[in-house]
Amino acid sequence: MRVIVELLDHQSGEFIEAELFDEVTIDHFLETQREWRPVVTEAALYLAKAGAKPILVPRHFHWDWTKKEADLRMLAITFYGLGCGGALQGLMKLLTVGHTCRLPEQAGKPLVYVDYLEAAPWNIKPLMNALGKAPRYGGIGTLLLEAAVQKSKDEGFKGRLALHSLPTSEQFYLKACGMTAVGRDPAKQNLLWLEYTPEQAERFITRGTA
Amino acid sequence: MNKELDRKWLKKHAALEDGGFVSVGGFISTFEEKSSAGEEPVGVDALKHAFVKLLQLKRRERKLSVEELAAKADLDMAELLRIESDEGYVAAPFSVHKLAEFFKLPERPLMALAGLLKVKDAQFQQQALRFAARSEPVEKLSKEEHRALEEYVKFLCER
Repeated sequence: MRVIVELLDHQSGEFIEAELFDEVTIDHFLETQREWRPVVTEAALYLAKAGAKPILVPRHFHWDWTKKEADLRMLAITFYGLGCGGALQGLMKLLTVGHTCRLPEQAGKPLVYVDYLEAAPWNIKPLMNALGKAPRYGGIGTLLLEAAVQKSKDEGFKGRLALHSLPTSEQFYLKACGMTAVGRDPAKQNLLWLEYTPEQAERFITRGTA
Repeated sequence: MNKELDRKWLKKHAALEDGGFVSVGGFISTFEEKSSAGEEPVGVDALKHAFVKLLQLKRRERKLSVEELAAKADLDMAELLRIESDEGYVAAPFSVHKLAEFFKLPERPLMALAGLLKVKDAQFQQQALRFAARSEPVEKLSKEEHRALEEYVKFLCER
């Protein structure tokens, strides 16, 4: 699957063509290690040295994409990439088994679980600000989440979807995306479990018109 | 879908994404357990000493001079010299990242040794201190060390 989408170019304020695809390969994982990792490291350490609030200081040291190659061959796992300007701008990993809904009105029903979603560090404003730069592209998280909802619909899950959000992203998923907070998960660093009902998911992908 | 509506919607969402790390898992997955801003890490001297010793031994293990290591690891030679000779100097995060990569050392502990991350683990500090103490050379100088030492003393005497 390859779909042309648009990203917001922060520098020009214009929209720029990007490609959303699900043909993610080990090369994309290696690209995140090679291109993303040093930028995250540098920005994170500047933030730490500047005495940023603990919540704003990312650490990434134990995630190694190169060990995730086997995931590419698993049917229950789907990866999506977002490419623009010859570089990977965002990456997402979805699981279609292993998790079910927790919201009382849809408890136990199948859903798509967003196991990983991340924009390239040069698109993340707090990281770039720490390095004295401006972010490059905007809208990556939104477009990837939209693809996740579509995947849920394609799987017959009607848009039902869940994720564990970082504290700094909670307001985005709650207010901008209209997800429901189900509760903190002690099994997952006490992160907030957020869920979409089919109605909420539909409202999100129809830009609030549904 | 209406293109204008799409763009307006995306622009609004992009602005909302900008307020934080829109991320699930992965690189930005856990948080620095920094109790308070500006607090000095405990046992920084011992860690720094271990950091310098570790780099020196790893470099010597590969039979590299500082100049050769700087070239091979794509580091600034002046900074590398400063890292090895001035324990009060705080290495740039990116240099530590490059050193970890070159010597295939775990990055986070190396960052901690370099004084770039706070460490609360008493055993980590104790082991660093022990390593620094044990790595102080007791053997005779090698021919190369002896020659370098003689040449440099001679140079100093001639000034």
